[in-house]
Parts: sequence; structure tokens; C-alpha cells
Amino acid sequence: MAKYTSMAYKSADEMVFGTAKYPVKYGRDFVAGGGFVYPELVPHPRPGSEESKKSLVREYEKMVNDALERCVQIGLPGLQIELEHVYQMTRHPDWGGEIAAATKRIMDDYYQKYGLKSAIRATPADYRKPDEENIRDGDALKNILATFEASAAAGADNLSIESMGGKEITDYAIVRQDIRGVLFGIGVLGSRDVEFLWKKIVEIANKYGATPGGETDCAQANVAMFMAGGFLDKSVPHTFAAICRAIAAPRTLVAYEQGAKGPTKDCGYEDTIIKAIAGIPISMEGKTCACAHSDLLGNLVAAVCDLWSNEAVEYHDMFGGTTAAVFTEILGYDVALMNTAIKMGKAKDLRDMMINSDKYRDTHGFILSPDNAYEIGKAIVSNAESYYSRARAAAIKAAELMRGDARLLLSDFEKEVLESTYKTLLSLPDKEDDFIAECIPIYQKHVRGFKPANYGL
Amino acid sequence: MYFLDDYSGIFVRYDLKRERGEARAVAAEDEVMQNVIQCVVEGDTDNIGAVVRKALETKDPMDVINALVKGMNEVSRLWDEGVYYLPQTILSSDAMLEGIEICEEKMGKALAKKGVVITHTAEGDIHDLGQKIANALLRANGYQVIDLGKDVPVDDVVAAVKQHKPAMVTGTALMTTTMTAFERISKRLVREGISLPFVCGGGAVSEEYVTSFDLGIWGKDASQAPLMAADAVSGKDWRQMREKWNG
Repeated sequence: MAKYTSMAYKSADEMVFGTAKYPVKYGRDFVAGGGFVYPELVPHPRPGSEESKKSLVREYEKMVNDALERCVQIGLPGLQIELEHVYQMTRHPDWGGEIAAATKRIMDDYYQKYGLKSAIRATPADYRKPDEENIRDGDALKNILATFEASAAAGADNLSIESMGGKEITDYAIVRQDIRGVLFGIGVLGSRDVEFLWKKIVEIANKYGATPGGETDCAQANVAMFMAGGFLDKSVPHTFAAICRAIAAPRTLVAYEQGAKGPTKDCGYEDTIIKAIAGIPISMEGKTCACAHSDLLGNLVAAVCDLWSNEAVEYHDMFGGTTAAVFTEILGYDVALMNTAIKMGKAKDLRDMMINSDKYRDTHGFILSPDNAYEIGKAIVSNAESYYSRARAAAIKAAELMRGDARLLLSDFEKEVLESTYKTLLSLPDKEDDFIAECIPIYQKHVRGFKPANYGL
Repeated sequence: MYFLDDYSGIFVRYDLKRERGEARAVAAEDEVMQNVIQCVVEGDTDNIGAVVRKALETKDPMDVINALVKGMNEVSRLWDEGVYYLPQTILSSDAMLEGIEICEEKMGKALAKKGVVITHTAEGDIHDLGQKIANALLRANGYQVIDLGKDVPVDDVVAAVKQHKPAMVTGTALMTTTMTAFERISKRLVREGISLPFVCGGGAVSEEYVTSFDLGIWGKDASQAPLMAADAVSGKDWRQMREKWNG
């Protein structure tokens, strides 16, 4: 399978928010990465609304209408809304389709009345269970693909997913600080599953004229990052979580090698590395997604974004309106500042302020600072012999960057973890075949239900 | 790109100012048992089997089990004091459980468990890492865990409770739109005349929601599971547990 062997950008400094090498146009006059940053709202239905198709469609109609109305009320130029499926919307493909159709009707109406630019991203839920079923030919996969079809047929402009391949191994490995397992779960199995799945998603998108959008390693690298948590948490070492993130980048990159065009999925924090390599527009989330989860790079992560998202906010009333309206407004002003900086020729200044806010706050911000992300990208494209070789190279580079910058402050414990993880990475086999042969018996013994055949092995 | 020389005032690393506890040597009566303890404290799953088998050549299996538990107690202390992180604790738990299994084989019978706990992840939800961590911590603390897995239908949870009669049942969910299964389970159990603590937690599961239905006790994180199980086994009912752990 063809792999990226060069960087889209000549240097990290060339990257800035709002502009991608390869902009994407879809929806109602909506261009991602074309010199302008758009907000991307992800509204989430209230518990109980999923009880029937009728109640769930109604919930989405209200959320979408509230968001678009707020755009017009405060003069936002455009908005992408992500329909990030709750389980029921994918389990019943017609539910997902009908919600996409309802969203399109409302967006068309606002476009005709006001000229409001807009787009729909549909993200079916990947509810395959790798340790319990055949994920390449099971009912869950059939439903997921049927939901993609129903969504695209109903007017979804962009098709995306947060795929789960390798999670059974990575879940085991993250809580045991087992970097070999993370490399196997994300770097090898995850990459193979992304390849398998995205071939099918791209086919469906092409069939309906939709854009094959983005992927994210939310199910694995975000688990490590969220478990690492803040400075008081003691679940997963932050240095280890940052290395998991570096490993996620070449895995998520596979989607774009299969034909996905972006914008990437908002929760893929690895997307800064992806943009440096592939040049596609990226959607990111940070300070304005504190409604969904905390992170330690709230400003930095916006530095080279093309869409700016809130991750997910449940639909409720607030003093300033419903959450759908309020978060549209917050995102809208966030991107208005970025777009103002672009107009004033100050985009790089604002970008550098974002970066300096968080580069040395913690390990995730450090490795995803565009200068370091670019270096990790170079390690990936320079080691393209196999999915394993480039994932290992990304991990080693991330570890070396953290080891080599004294301004990144680490506790003694974090230093010990970093050193032992780095040592393990260097000791692993050079060849993918050798690594896979080493890993299969280990994880078949320890992870109940692990089936190599799910990954074509 | 422009980078500052001085980041003071932009953020504060409070964690680096905290004092950390230290690992203490846990003594055993001889080198063989010391090795058993050490393997658990260090989470050495590669060598625990050999070390325990060596100990069993001269020691009573129950004495070896006591050494394994002694090591795990030290691990719990180190975790409580912030010296160890979760992975160290999980690895130590893996080592201890492997060691106990070898001792049980030698004894020809399983060690009596403190009680039975059923765990599951809600119907429609495949995010079961929190459940897996709770399982590991419960097992490490001597409970028999009946793991129903993920995406478990309400009927299956109710049937398992009727069959195994656990001291406590737990439910994990990431999404608010799957956690609604917890309330359906609660109603079914109450209708069947079953009263037991039903600890629910994970992701977006809130205390407000879990304490809105009978039996429900909100679990903030998986590390609470063994302490809650101890309360359930000691006879505390769900109302007493809710009063203790929630509110």
C-alpha cells in the first residue's frame, strides 16, 4: 500500500491556521483550509431522546436549528455541524439517515434565506467488538456501512469515523504501561484496520458524491491522554501518553493514504502531525471542548487548525440559550479572532501566542507543538517500510524530543517512565514481520478474544 | 516561530512541588519469600511464576499466598501515596493473581473469596476499559468477579444477578445515551424484589443521574470499587452506601 514518503510543508513555520495545502470544498459554499477557519459544532442529544427515532430526530432538529439561528443572530459566516452518532443512530441505519436529511433541510433553508454557509459531517459509531466478533464481516460492520450509505444518500457532506481496530490490545497495554502492546495495537493492528475500513468508506463517499473526511485514534490515544489527565492524576504517565499519541499519527494517516480528504476528525489530537505530512485541512478541539473533557493544550492545539470544534456538548438550557446556540457562539468568536488575524497579516503572531501558551505546560502540548510535530512527521515519512517501522520511528522521535529539551519539566517518576519506555522502543525488532511474530503469542495469551484474523494476520 | 525564554506566569506546575512518598522495603523471613514479595511490589509478571514455584518447594501454599498479599498491600500503600501510578498497580495485581493461581493448584482448591461482584458495560456501549480496571482491582482485593463484558443487554444483567446472587453489581458507560440502561436494570431488579447496591460510573455518568433511581450508587472512578465491595459484603445496603459515597 502506498505510503507518504515526504512532507507536504517545507517547514513547520509554513503551517498556520486556516490554510491547508489541499483545501476541501463541499456542502453549501463551504471550504475547509481555504484561508479561513470555520467553527464545527458537535451537539449531543439528551439521555432519553434515543428512545425512539421520532424523539431523536426531533432532538437533532432543535439542536441544529438553535445553532444556525445563533449564527445568523451574531453574524457568523458559516458552520459545520457534526452528527456524531450515538449508538442507536448507527445500530438503526435509517435513524442516522433521517437525522442527516433533517439537518440538510434546515441548513438548506438557512442557506436560501440568509446565505449561511454550512456543512454536515456524519460520523457513524464504530461499535464493532474486536475481541468478540469478526470485525471484517460481522453485523456491526454491515450496519456501520449501511449507515454511511444512508447518511450520504440523505445529504451528509463529509463522512468520518473513529475506528476501533486494535483497541482490545491497546486497552490491555495502556494500563500496564506496555509500549510494545501500544505499538502493536495502534501502530500495526490499528493501521491495518484503518486501511480495511477506509477502502470501503471512500467507495461509499464516491458513490454518493460525498467527501471522505477524517479518522481519529480517539479510541486509543485519547484514552491514554484522558487517563493521564491533569497534574494530580496518577493513572497513566504523561510521557507515556504522549508517546501513544505519536504512535497514533501514522495509524490515522492511513485513512488519507486510502483516499480520505479531510477535514480530519476534531478529536484526533495527532492531526497536527497529519497536516504536516498530508497537507489536508484539520479540525481540532481544545479550550472550547472543556465541556466534554479537560486537556493541557487548550490554545496550542488551535495553532494550525482549519476547523475549530467543541468535541461534544449535551443539549441543555443555559442562561445564554441552549448549549447548541451557546457553543456555536463561543466557537464562532474563537474563529473570528483567528480570521481577523489572517486579515491583518498577523496569523503567525497569533499562532505563536497559542503555541507559547502550552508548549511546555505538559508532554502532549510539547510533542504537538508544530515544530516538534513536524519532526515526528519527518520520522514517519523517512521510515515508510511498514506500518510498524513508521509507528516505532514516531514513538522514538517523540521520546527523543522529550528527553532533549530541558524546558519541558518532568517529575522524577515521569523521567523514569520516559527512559524505560525509550529503552524498550530501541530494543524492539527492526522488521515488522519479526515484531508481529513476537507479539501474536504474547497477546493471545493475555488478551481474551484477540483474533489476529480480524486484521488479516 | 517565536519562542519565549521565560514561561513563568503562564502556567504553574503544582505537581512538581508536591512531596512524593517513598517505597519501603517490606521484609520477609527469608530470601525465598522476600523474592515473592519483591516480584509483586515490582509487578514482575515475567518472573512471578518461577519465584512462586521455587517458594512452594519448601513453603506452605498459604504462607506463599500471605507473602503475595503482603506485597500487594505495599503496592496499595504506594498507590495511595502517589508513588505508584495505575500501571504499576495493575501489573502488581497481575503478578499476585498469577502467584495465587499457582498456589491454588498446589493446594488443590481455590482460595475462599470475600464475595461475588458482577460487572458489566451498558448495552450499546463498547467502552469497557473502566470496567476492566475495576475487575483487576476487585480481583486483586480478593473478590470473585463475574465479568459480563460490554454491550450487555438489560435482560442478561438481571438474569446474572438472579443466578449468582452477588453482593454488588456494577455498570460502566461512556455515553449518556447508553447509561439509560442502568435505570432500566434498576427498575427490573426492584420489580423482581431484588435489593442490592448497583454501582454505576464512567465517562459522562453523573452522580445526579445515578442517584435518581433506586439501588444506584455513583462511582467516581474504578479505584473505589474494592472499598465499595467491602461495604456491600459487610452488609451495608444501597441506601447506606449511597449516603456514604455520594452526596
